[in-house]
Amino acid sequence: MDSCHAYFMKQALIMGEKALETGETPVGCVLVYNNKIVGSGMNDTNKSMNGTRHAEFIAIEQMLENHPRTLLRSTDLYVTVEPCIMCASALRQYQIRTVYFGCGNDRFGGTGSILSLHSDLSIDPPYVVHGGLFREEAIMLLRRFYIQENENAPKPRPKKHRELKTSFQNSVPDSQSSSPTI
Amino acid sequence: MDAENILREVQPLVGEVVPIRSVQETRPVEEYAGAYVAEVNVKTASKVIKALDSAFPRDSSHPLNHLRRFAKHNQIPESLRPALLKEGYLPSQTIFVLVPSPLPAPEALQTLLAPFVPPPRETPLPQTPTAGPSLPSTPAPPPAAAETTTPATSNITLHTITVPMQPPLTPTQAEHWSSKMWPVVFNPAAPRALIAPPPQILSRVRDAIAPKAGRYLALAQAVAAQAERSGLGRGVGAVVVDPELEPVPEDSTEGAEEGSSWTDAIVAVAGDGRYSRREGGNPAQAEIAGGSGPSPHCGTYNADWEGGPELHALMRAVELISSKRREDKPGSRRQKIRPVLYGLEEYFLRKSDVPLSSVETETGTGTGGADEEGEDAVAPPPEKYQKTTETEAHAIHLHHHKEADEQKVEAGGSGGAGGVGPRIRSREQGGYLCNDLDVYLSHEPCICCCMGLLLSRFRAVIFPRRGRMVSGGLASEPVVKPVPVEAGSDHPVETAEGGTEDASTKNREYYGLHWRKELNWRALGFEFVAAGESEATSAETGVAFHA
Repeated sequence: MDSCHAYFMKQALIMGEKALETGETPVGCVLVYNNKIVGSGMNDTNKSMNGTRHAEFIAIEQMLENHPRTLLRSTDLYVTVEPCIMCASALRQYQIRTVYFGCGNDRFGGTGSILSLHSDLSIDPPYVVHGGLFREEAIMLLRRFYIQENENAPKPRPKKHRELKTSFQNSVPDSQSSSPTI
Repeated sequence: MDAENILREVQPLVGEVVPIRSVQETRPVEEYAGAYVAEVNVKTASKVIKALDSAFPRDSSHPLNHLRRFAKHNQIPESLRPALLKEGYLPSQTIFVLVPSPLPAPEALQTLLAPFVPPPRETPLPQTPTAGPSLPSTPAPPPAAAETTTPATSNITLHTITVPMQPPLTPTQAEHWSSKMWPVVFNPAAPRALIAPPPQILSRVRDAIAPKAGRYLALAQAVAAQAERSGLGRGVGAVVVDPELEPVPEDSTEGAEEGSSWTDAIVAVAGDGRYSRREGGNPAQAEIAGGSGPSPHCGTYNADWEGGPELHALMRAVELISSKRREDKPGSRRQKIRPVLYGLEEYFLRKSDVPLSSVETETGTGTGGADEEGEDAVAPPPEKYQKTTETEAHAIHLHHHKEADEQKVEAGGSGGAGGVGPRIRSREQGGYLCNDLDVYLSHEPCICCCMGLLLSRFRAVIFPRRGRMVSGGLASEPVVKPVPVEAGSDHPVETAEGGTEDASTKNREYYGLHWRKELNWRALGFEFVAAGESEATSAETGVAFHA
């Protein structure tokens, strides 16, 4: 793996770790332009009471405080989990250049797992997606989160007897994670 | 024009509310596979099942419960009769057993079934095998010597047939398969759960929203017009309604015509604001354009001028509701980033701040009868906020809260919203995202907004068919015919084929995002088909942008 990719994905993982500490679904991301981080975000749905405040939106919002939106065309996203359908569509509308993600998202994934919004017919140009960078680290973040109960849900499911799994299947997570170069 | 005047002048759209079918319905997975059929002694049927189930366990992920395990002679589809009935047994002697996938080795199956071979053939009256339906009235079969089968007949013949692997979606489909392939059972409840919304919930919600949908959509269009006129956004609007605040059904016509009381169940409205944001310290597109009036960018699509999806009407409505749930202080950072833009937005935000009784005074309309008797701010979270499962949450809206009904009775049946505390509950009061709210949109929302509304847990989404967008995420098929497809329509296969043909020359995708079985969250989706609507007026043929 290219050391640049590793570095930026680690920064995304740090954002995910922060999210976990504050009781948010641990997904983190960074936006990289010219080898510099120009925006970073973590999920904010619980604190904001807004289910659309995903890490990608927070990062874009931060970036747009200092940069015009046209910059996104030359910007790459590193995100710990495959963007959901909402974010995958938003990234296309914003014309992101490339998306690198950690683990796939078989509930909501919009760049290969459930839909392929990065490449489907659309009025915006397609973007490139690479999956599987630090996949296991991203999954562990999620596992650590999901063994907790969701106190924000109207009726939390009891999860007292869950144990943190630490094993992984070695299979490649997603069909489209054709990332031989990284 | 101020908000109240606009509300007074809203002319409801006239038309019909039509469910948007799910992609599972419009593009059903018609999966077929081979299965064995064997003719066995009718008296050993239960033993056959036991033997089969213990020797060849079923695949629990594909229980295939829709396939009948046995078929009597008269249930065998016409096309299979020549092959299956050629042995010439009487309907009273034999029955046909189905062995679907996972298919066992044929030799093993034959060995297993050997004890159940048909009894020796009787030499009965000349019979026509296809004249079967007399079976139920057949008198008790003669005690054929089942145990004394001659070795000559002890060979079980396995026939290979093709069977549908998915349960039928409609009785018609079940009949079709039963007459062509193998007897199939239609179960209206279980198999549809993920395929499509339960029909009774879908039709009850449709009936509940139909009387006022035309008004809410007309208001969404008025909000859209305000957004476009301002130059701050495109002409797209959203109206969010809490069905819990609707007057009880019997009173829905009474008083609906006067003043603005029809707005009582509206908790927020929002218009598109894509030209309103400053990016990277540059002035917003609206500021660059200067002056008022529609933005010059409205007539084209250039991504650089489009702001982003968080400035779309639906996303802005979601954020306005969230700000109430969070009880943001005026001037907070969040409010500065996502400001209120339009007069109508402001009007409904203010309305949500004051208790219901004061709203009535303020708007000067006589809905009456919803006095809270001091329990407004501290009302316990209603039952719906304590529910989690989807079906329960949907079902909750089929009946109103008892307390609301009682209030109505006390007030002499004069109507009025079933007041239960604040209009938008805060986090502390049990408010959660956009749980169980309905959203009315002037246009088909973009894919991003569609998923945003699912993540926000809306109950239902409604938009006018002529607001369809090529970039939209809700439609599940082209407009095949002007006649709306009714819920529970019995011809999914035929219309889906029409749709597939169109898809070869498509200029858009049909995602049907409101109800996809793969997704964790689902909402009911409806299109509003205006009376006498012609397809040529659809926004699909206009400027392509993300609504």
